[in-house]
Amino acid sequence: MTFKYLVKTVFLTEILKAMALTFKAFISKPVTRQYPEEPREAMPGFRGMHALVRDSSTGREKCIACGLCGAICPARCIHIYSDEDEDGRKFAKRYELDLLRCIYCSLCVEACPVGAIAMTEHYEYSDYSRDAFYMTKEKLLANWDKYMSGKKGQEYFKKFYHPLADDFAEYEGQALFRGKAAERTRDAA
Amino acid sequence: MTGFLETMFSPGSADMILTIGTIVVKIAILIGIVLLHVAYAPYFERKVIGHMQVRMGPMRVGPHGLLQPIADGLKLFFKEDIIPAQADKSIFYISPVICLFTAMSTLAVIPIFGGFVIANINIGILFVLAMSSLGAYGIVMSGWSSNSKYAFLGGLRSSAQVISYEIAMGLSLVGVIIMSGSLNLTDIVAAQEAYPLKSFIIPQIIGFFVFCVAAMAETNRTPFDLPEAESELVAGYFTEYSGMRFALFFLAEYIGMLLMCAIAAICFLGGWNGPFEVPYIPFFWLLVKVYAFMFIYYWVRATVPRYRYDQLMSLGWKLMIPLALFNVVLTGTIKMLR
Repeated sequence: MTFKYLVKTVFLTEILKAMALTFKAFISKPVTRQYPEEPREAMPGFRGMHALVRDSSTGREKCIACGLCGAICPARCIHIYSDEDEDGRKFAKRYELDLLRCIYCSLCVEACPVGAIAMTEHYEYSDYSRDAFYMTKEKLLANWDKYMSGKKGQEYFKKFYHPLADDFAEYEGQALFRGKAAERTRDAA
Repeated sequence: MTGFLETMFSPGSADMILTIGTIVVKIAILIGIVLLHVAYAPYFERKVIGHMQVRMGPMRVGPHGLLQPIADGLKLFFKEDIIPAQADKSIFYISPVICLFTAMSTLAVIPIFGGFVIANINIGILFVLAMSSLGAYGIVMSGWSSNSKYAFLGGLRSSAQVISYEIAMGLSLVGVIIMSGSLNLTDIVAAQEAYPLKSFIIPQIIGFFVFCVAAMAETNRTPFDLPEAESELVAGYFTEYSGMRFALFFLAEYIGMLLMCAIAAICFLGGWNGPFEVPYIPFFWLLVKVYAFMFIYYWVRATVPRYRYDQLMSLGWKLMIPLALFNVVLTGTIKMLR
């Protein structure tokens, strides 16, 4: 038992140190966010509720009903029923998305070759019925108008849209990824 | 009976009725103030601990959560009063009342300022110690009568803890008694006026330390909250209580804390004497000291984790009691030599 230990025990230095720490915390500003009054601003690129992009030139959805989003969706929550319009163009007659099944991976956004689906920063949705979470084409288009209209939508696609199609090479013997990963594989080979 | 009636209607009876009247008014004032305080002490505690954990504490009920105690009180009042089927009913009913009764009756001997004390008895300190020991009965009985293992363990722990720390607390106060030469709390405050800082804090620093630790153990506060250790015993001795009966325990605990703070302020810090007189508020300094003490209680609670049971016992018997005894001997020797 050294002298130092004795001083430590008798004068409770450890406890006093701890109390100094708690006092420092006491006078510091609380980190609490008073949620409903001070909502949290979503970070750019946040993956919230989906929206179908409305083409400003035609006023209709950009979607071409290719079904790639539904095919890549790991939760299988996108259902597309295509049809043909007067001009003979394929379009999505029904575009339905079950939000309660969605895992918000944003693979649908990446899979889309034309950038027709986006994820908004809207996250405060709750309801008493399941029907409210079953998104139809109209609801998804309305989402775009509400949350992504104007500059925000353009910015979103500039910053966060990276279509998977960009990663595929032209046919050259066999299909290879074109991205940096592909270059590495090619160099190695 | 006739004798009583005769005195009631004798010439001196007006004085007596006046005296009784003053006492009743004093009791009403004191109880009112204390109950209001007890309502807001948990709010204060939650705020302090909240801020020490870098959060805000109650914020929702009223501005800054100021109406939280009222909401809590209403909730407790209207809650169902559940009594376990296997409980020993009469003891189950009576034990929270014992806790509250002992805590409240101790208030009678606490002087708030110069002339304001309900019962200015000569054995003030002794009465306080006796009542705080009696309060342990309420805890032990509630633990036993609940017929639940958690409550039982809580009651057992409480009795062991209170017995151990009661000794240390009594002995730590002996130094004060030797120095002031009185057991009357008003006299103790008066005796302190001659000392530096108008208090016994410098000559009785050891006693003060022992008293602080023992007071925390007496009132079952963290780090000595083994009787109600929520992580091991659910809620300890009052696990089976609900509604108003639970509220009585709650009240008793907070009044007990207030009492311990008041005793510390009166016996060691010079009571209502302060560096300067505050006009019209004679109890100002006592209030400041009591609240400072309360803050330290909460501060310690937010800092120190619970002691292990054997650590608690060894601290009590191997450190606190010898320290208090040493303090008694030291104070006595100095008093003899002077």
